[in-house]
Amino acid sequence: MRITARLRKHIWGYLFIVPAVVIFLLFLWMPIVKGFVYSFYHIDFVKGNSFAGFGNYRTVLHDPDVWTATKNTLYYMFLCLVIGFWVPIVFAISISELKRFQGFVRVAAYLPNVIPVVVLYGLWRWLYDPVGPINASITSFGTDPVSFMTDTNWSMISLVFMETWQQFGAAMLIYLAAVLSIPRDLYEAAEIDGAGVWKRIRHITLPFIRNIIVLLFVLQLISTSQGYQSQMAMLDGGPNQATLTYALLIVKYAFTRLDYGAASSLGVLMFLVLGGLAVLQHRLSSREVN
Amino acid sequence: MKSADRGILSRYDLQKTPNRIAYAIMLLVIVAMVASMLYPILVTLFNSLKSNVEVNSFPPHFLPQHWTFDTFKKGWNYIELPLFFRNTLIIFGGNMVVTVVVLGLAAFSLSRLNIPYGRAINFFFLAALFIPPTTYIVPNFVNLKDLGMLNTFQAFWLPAGANAFFLLLLKNFFDGISHELFEAGRIDGASDLRLFARIALPLSVPIFSTLAIFVFSTAWNDWFWPSLVMHTDKTRPLATAIYNYVINVRRLDTNVKFAMLTMVMLPPIVVFLLFQRFIIRGLHMGGVKG
Repeated sequence: MRITARLRKHIWGYLFIVPAVVIFLLFLWMPIVKGFVYSFYHIDFVKGNSFAGFGNYRTVLHDPDVWTATKNTLYYMFLCLVIGFWVPIVFAISISELKRFQGFVRVAAYLPNVIPVVVLYGLWRWLYDPVGPINASITSFGTDPVSFMTDTNWSMISLVFMETWQQFGAAMLIYLAAVLSIPRDLYEAAEIDGAGVWKRIRHITLPFIRNIIVLLFVLQLISTSQGYQSQMAMLDGGPNQATLTYALLIVKYAFTRLDYGAASSLGVLMFLVLGGLAVLQHRLSSREVN
Repeated sequence: MKSADRGILSRYDLQKTPNRIAYAIMLLVIVAMVASMLYPILVTLFNSLKSNVEVNSFPPHFLPQHWTFDTFKKGWNYIELPLFFRNTLIIFGGNMVVTVVVLGLAAFSLSRLNIPYGRAINFFFLAALFIPPTTYIVPNFVNLKDLGMLNTFQAFWLPAGANAFFLLLLKNFFDGISHELFEAGRIDGASDLRLFARIALPLSVPIFSTLAIFVFSTAWNDWFWPSLVMHTDKTRPLATAIYNYVINVRRLDTNVKFAMLTMVMLPPIVVFLLFQRFIIRGLHMGGVKG
């Protein structure tokens, strides 16, 4: 009797949750669980699935492309840090010192975030063209033109530049809000104590935004480790597999080679590596919120 | 001088020559940054107003020499833009309804109705945040195929309700509404559903506007996932259509191509300039919580 009374009291509360539970089960947990299951099966839409044991894992671990893709992904993550990670921090601190036009500069810096990625791809293919505007200005200095897209040494770097151009504004605004929230009295006190500008930045500004730097660092690792869309849209993993990332290889296994089982096992392997990073990010962000 | 007027630099710092030089360099870098943010966006617009010969000439110039406006008419008739635009809006509208109803009700119940085992249910929802989405992209597709949802709008609408991050944002927002309001409503005899519809929803306009921006930008931007799920023009959203028919096509005149990119780029820019406040707030939520 007690249980039914309790249920009756909370009947609406549970009814409100039911649709969400069904949808989460069907469209989130089901795919996640299926991913593990499929990784042990040979998937065939026509003849039906058959158990493959560790066959899929053996296939992918013996595929040299997997190692190329892993290396490329690490290289991509590294480039995103070297080229992109520090940019928003520097600009946030600089822009916080602007006395006028701060609002305009913020909007301008964030604007590329707003343009759809398909426009980004179309636009930057033209900018990077062998006879595009970037090469026009390079050659006007008397330097040889650069094949931004087709040179294997340049292709990944070019993509990272493009993505940094588009995305740094978002991180910049987050840093900027933090920099602007630092109490001004601290700088005043430091200046009276004889600290120069660099010392003030090093010992007041940077320590104040340290937690956000760490958090955005981990977030960037998580997102760049899964990057594949610009590599796919701009170069389809080429030239000569120079921009074939791990996530792109998953997509190619599934939708080009139509080997959904092997693609699932690649997904599981990726999950095992990235799960740790996600837990770390959650720890950091709950600390940030509190 | 009031301490609130200063930043890292004080007025005194700027009287020293080395600091003035550093500040001037900083201003130059910011101006260069703003220029490099705006140039590609403006060049997209201006390229659409050039003749095709002029767009492809080397070295390229910034402003058109002969302004041509029929590129927009050609672009408008090149593919059925209104149809794809309608599809994007249908996806956006349906996703929004599901977000408000399914996630709103669930978040309200978890936040306000004190149901038994609420914490466990909450964990069931939020644990998905730890799993990087790229790792289950393939089983997700196979799952939708198994459910027979390929080429239907349901393939977008229903999974929109499986967003753990939005649920978290909503629950946090409901947690912040003063509970006296709900007590008062209860004393007046309002049912749980009425409390949700008449008190929680109207007070949550700010958070739903922020979510609307997220949902809109996903619907407008996302091209890869829809290209897997939607195989006919009848249901394809704008971004996928642009990718298939504009970005990856060589035959199309470059100036018409840029006219189409401009048409796709302008709506989000207008939305951004109108709703800046909500967008920046959403950015902070998204940035700190992943």
